[in-house]
Amino acid sequence: MRISTIALANLRRRRGKAAFLVAGISIGIATAVALLTLSETIRDEIGLQLDQFGANIVVVPKSNSLALDYGGVTVSGVSFDVGQLRDEDARRVFDIPYRNRLAVVAPKILGAVEIEGRQLLLAGVDFAEELKLKRWWRLVGERPKGETDLLVGYEAARALSLVEQATDDRSAPVVPTLAPAVGMKGHAHQSSDGHFRVARERLTIGGKEFRVAGVLTPTGGREDEMVFGRLDGVQALLGRPGQLSLVEVSALCQDCPVEDIVAQINQQLPNAKVSAVQQAVRARTETVERLTRFALAVSGVVLLIGALMIFTTTSGAVVERTKEIGVLRAIGFRRAHIIKGLMLEVLLLSTAGGLLGWAAGLLASRALLPYFSQTGAGLEVDPWLALLSVATALGVGAAGSIYPALRASRLDPSEAVRYV
Amino acid sequence: MSFVVLKDVSKAYGADGSGALTRVLKGVSLEVSEGEFVALMGPSGSGKSTLLTVLGAMNRPTTGQLIVDGIDVYALSEERRADFRREYLGFVFQQHHLMPFLNALENASLPLAILPSSAREKRERALSALAKVGLADKAARLPSQLSGGEQGRLAIARAIVNAPPLLLADEPTGTLDTRTGDEIMRVFRDLNAAGQTVFMVTHNPSNAALSHRVLHIVDGRITNDPTASDPTPELCLPTAGRAQ
Repeated sequence: MRISTIALANLRRRRGKAAFLVAGISIGIATAVALLTLSETIRDEIGLQLDQFGANIVVVPKSNSLALDYGGVTVSGVSFDVGQLRDEDARRVFDIPYRNRLAVVAPKILGAVEIEGRQLLLAGVDFAEELKLKRWWRLVGERPKGETDLLVGYEAARALSLVEQATDDRSAPVVPTLAPAVGMKGHAHQSSDGHFRVARERLTIGGKEFRVAGVLTPTGGREDEMVFGRLDGVQALLGRPGQLSLVEVSALCQDCPVEDIVAQINQQLPNAKVSAVQQAVRARTETVERLTRFALAVSGVVLLIGALMIFTTTSGAVVERTKEIGVLRAIGFRRAHIIKGLMLEVLLLSTAGGLLGWAAGLLASRALLPYFSQTGAGLEVDPWLALLSVATALGVGAAGSIYPALRASRLDPSEAVRYV
Repeated sequence: MSFVVLKDVSKAYGADGSGALTRVLKGVSLEVSEGEFVALMGPSGSGKSTLLTVLGAMNRPTTGQLIVDGIDVYALSEERRADFRREYLGFVFQQHHLMPFLNALENASLPLAILPSSAREKRERALSALAKVGLADKAARLPSQLSGGEQGRLAIARAIVNAPPLLLADEPTGTLDTRTGDEIMRVFRDLNAAGQTVFMVTHNPSNAALSHRVLHIVDGRITNDPTASDPTPELCLPTAGRAQ
């Protein structure tokens, strides 16, 4: 016989009330879990979508020279830079303390070249990094693999007669830039003005022959009119070995301190100008904060209602059990023993309610997710959330029952045993 | 020296809200020796139950002192008084106040629940208490599965499981028929014969007749000599050939 024996026996005796209390706590926790899980998932999704806007930090040489616009970012002069960025500068970006927050570091060199009598902008890029950064790119063909492989923007390809309208109606696979490369030569793509396919693979630039690995589908951006080659090859072609025009950095991640990252890169590269694309960062931060605040506020209200429910139920139980408590006090139970017994009951129910609520919340979020998520992002079973659910349920249980338990412990035993 | 000494105890309640006090006990003094069986009789509202709760260390008197085994009980803190009740007193209530959701063994073990002893030791002590009142074979039964007399005996088992020096009973046969009441009184008598000090409030003269000494309380005062305790008491049992 222990105090816990009495508590458990009491719970068995009042199964209906115990179930009611567990249900109440479960509903509160389930609501909180569902809201927080959904907001977390939506937050990740928004983050992912905003990540797809591309780089949020741009590193360019400090220069007063002629500026060139690239993807909405003003880039220092192509040929007249005062200071130069070099390959090692891109690598040094990874030396900043916040290096683990860097998603992509994409160095590139830009230069105007004449290709088959047309002036075009040639970009030398690290394809692996570039394709991670430009997640919205879709290409017809395959990802560049070899030293002389090129990706050509749709308008540039049209100007160079690299593509032709497809004549058949077969569905045309389009390769996302991060998908495994597959041979796509000759496949048609449903573009805005009909189907197209890569018609010609060979292209000569500066007397050197290149292979057109793929053509980008129209993006509406500057890249439609550009040609992309391997960084070292383009550097050699432009006669600027080791030089970079800019480095694009994607550091968009949850709670990412972009301003701090900018400062750290600036410190690392004193001769470079580092700018954050503030709009995307701010928009994302605000959205995330609003979502989180909303989820927390609603969860708080629901849990408060749960605590009030426990308060009411426990208060009622104390009144019901006045005689019983009086007897326990009369036979030598201290006030602390009475509090312990009552709290134990509530905390056992809270634990059950917390676990049930967590499971129910996860199931509810799984059921509701399709209505909130466009990408069908998956839910993860987070054991910490289970612990947090139980801890919150215990907190709510304790908050709701402490006053009735204290009041019970203060019952005058001589009065209580006379209670009818 | 007497085991229990009640010195000039008064108890007043502010009952009617007019500021006037209702004096329930008026300068009560009494002594009880170890091994004595004392009965307290009196009409309804005379202060019997109040006196019992004062003796039970759960109703602080307005004035006066309760000394048990040399301990000034009401000088103790509330929590220490709870410890005192657990160590020194056993209560048998008129309504028995058993826990309906616990079986007989668990009900008898109730005062042991807060002790650090092992489960086995607690069980043995509770079984021994049940055996003393003749309920060893009904340990697994719920109170609702016991007769009125058995419930009364179970209440006594719970009161003696801690082997308290003083057993207090508040009209333990008040709700029972004569035969069952006699059954309960036999248990008290046997316990007292084994050395248990008993202080019992009763309306029933034949129950009181089983005690060594009967005190009468009227209007908050003991009307017979409260200190005339027989240091070598004998039971006032009809079978013992002595009636009070």
